[in-house]
Amino acid sequence: MKPARVMLVDDTPTRSAILEQALLDQGLIVVCRLESAQGLIKNVEVHQPDIIIMDLESPDRDTLENMTVLNQHNPKPVIMFSDEDDSQIIAQAVQAGVSAYIVDGLNPSRVKPIMDVAIARFREYQALKNELKQTRDQLADRKVIDKAKGLLMKTRGLDEEQAYHAMRKMAMDQSKPIVDIAQNILSVMELLAP
Amino acid sequence: MNGAKVEKKALKLGYMPLSDCLPLLVAQQQGFFEQQGLKVELQQEVSWSNIRDKVIVGHLDGAHMLAPMILASSIGLGGLKKSLITAFSMGLNGNALTVSNSLHRELFELNTTEFDQASTMKQLIEQRKAQKLPALVFATVYPYSCHNLQLRDWLASADIDPDKDIDIVILPPSQMVDHLKLQHIDGFFAGAPWNSVAILQGHGHCLITGMEIWQNAPEKVLGVTLEWAEKNPECHHAVIRALYQACAWLEQHAEQALPLLQSHLSLNSPLIDQECLIPAITGEYIFDNNQEKSKAPGTLVFNRSMANFPWLSHGQLICSQMKRWHWLPPSIDSDELVANCYRPDIYRQALASQPLSDEILPENNFLQDHLATL
Repeated sequence: MKPARVMLVDDTPTRSAILEQALLDQGLIVVCRLESAQGLIKNVEVHQPDIIIMDLESPDRDTLENMTVLNQHNPKPVIMFSDEDDSQIIAQAVQAGVSAYIVDGLNPSRVKPIMDVAIARFREYQALKNELKQTRDQLADRKVIDKAKGLLMKTRGLDEEQAYHAMRKMAMDQSKPIVDIAQNILSVMELLAP
Repeated sequence: MNGAKVEKKALKLGYMPLSDCLPLLVAQQQGFFEQQGLKVELQQEVSWSNIRDKVIVGHLDGAHMLAPMILASSIGLGGLKKSLITAFSMGLNGNALTVSNSLHRELFELNTTEFDQASTMKQLIEQRKAQKLPALVFATVYPYSCHNLQLRDWLASADIDPDKDIDIVILPPSQMVDHLKLQHIDGFFAGAPWNSVAILQGHGHCLITGMEIWQNAPEKVLGVTLEWAEKNPECHHAVIRALYQACAWLEQHAEQALPLLQSHLSLNSPLIDQECLIPAITGEYIFDNNQEKSKAPGTLVFNRSMANFPWLSHGQLICSQMKRWHWLPPSIDSDELVANCYRPDIYRQALASQPLSDEILPENNFLQDHLATL
């Protein structure tokens, strides 16, 4: 059985590189990796993929969908999940942000493993991104808290621990995150600054 | 109002950033959803395909949808097969054909008085063929859309074969103006506000409006799955009532809605300012770069003329046009398909207890005038 030919369309090159590697590891052929739909139809004709995997949030999806209608120009209509029974995998794909176009002729039993890999990698990438954002947010929060603490120490003559406790008490009393309290302190101080 | 009755309070509704998504934005901003006991989150989407798929898998409860998409998805055209229905039309019109400055000039040189007629386009296409020039390229927004059907209908009225004599490509609405400017395309058929953007920026001229092709044409609808509608009938009614209220409000306060529309449309499109939104909303003419009066590129009708009623005849019109281009398998019974997808009965139930319901509910579900263009 010949390995399936996959085409990737994703404007996030890091993600599509991760996915490409994962697909290659499965013994599949990645015929082409595009960052946008520019030249999409031509590339489909040239590379003759069996399946096209595309970022769900790409505005170019509608362009690709037109190929399902253009069967006069293209002998291989592309249809996303032609089978109604695939609804679970489709829900998973949409959740993960993957869309796929299966070129007529590829056996459905060969589609599932490819989709599983794509869904897993897209999820992994999202998790990585979330983690990075969380770390960044935490760092930013930390900076705000430190700045407010410094300001309290300077203006109220508190030591570091007292300043921190003062903020923490306020946070608990108002049931707000400590970073919000710190931000408020900074805003008020700025307002009152000479 | 009917808060206790709805099966589901928190809803997620999707929309594409276009002028005719306004009923959703207004229903949210004016608190009409809330008055119906709903807590709605509006989610902007990047493609019609996403809207369809997210509604089908249930990530969205419902969405701003292209009317032909409801029919296409119900028989599995272009994607997963799932019964979609509409019981509310979000308005009429809004589309237009805008051509590049160079195509406009060529048409004008060919026929100064009838440059905007399909027959002049036909003449130009024949001329270009004789000169062995490449086929003209027109873009539209989605294969199964009234845009595509209106463009094809207009071309065919002068014996232009849209599948052979020109190339039709699909582009996201927000990319139309850039592609026109870069001369990747010779024209585009899209909804508001993109025609106005192209004209005001001096990249094109409006050749013909959708209204001139189909008088008071069906356009966007509220689309939900049949499964969802059967599970959440009261909730569906509540959404319809809120949207109806928003459409009626828009009929009186269109201008007040401009800042709201701008704030949502400019999120991902730096080209959008308030000026380009005005023509479709108020019907005011705009002026092109040479200070010449341009056609109003398709004024939206939000509520008057029973614009919100899901006419079976609108479904019939779309179906017959889809048949004409051999998109529907011959085995499909159009009447049955329309009856399954267009649900005036739900609209009637939703609005039956409204004040003036006699005036807002038509006697029949069918209007012969809609099929007059055929």
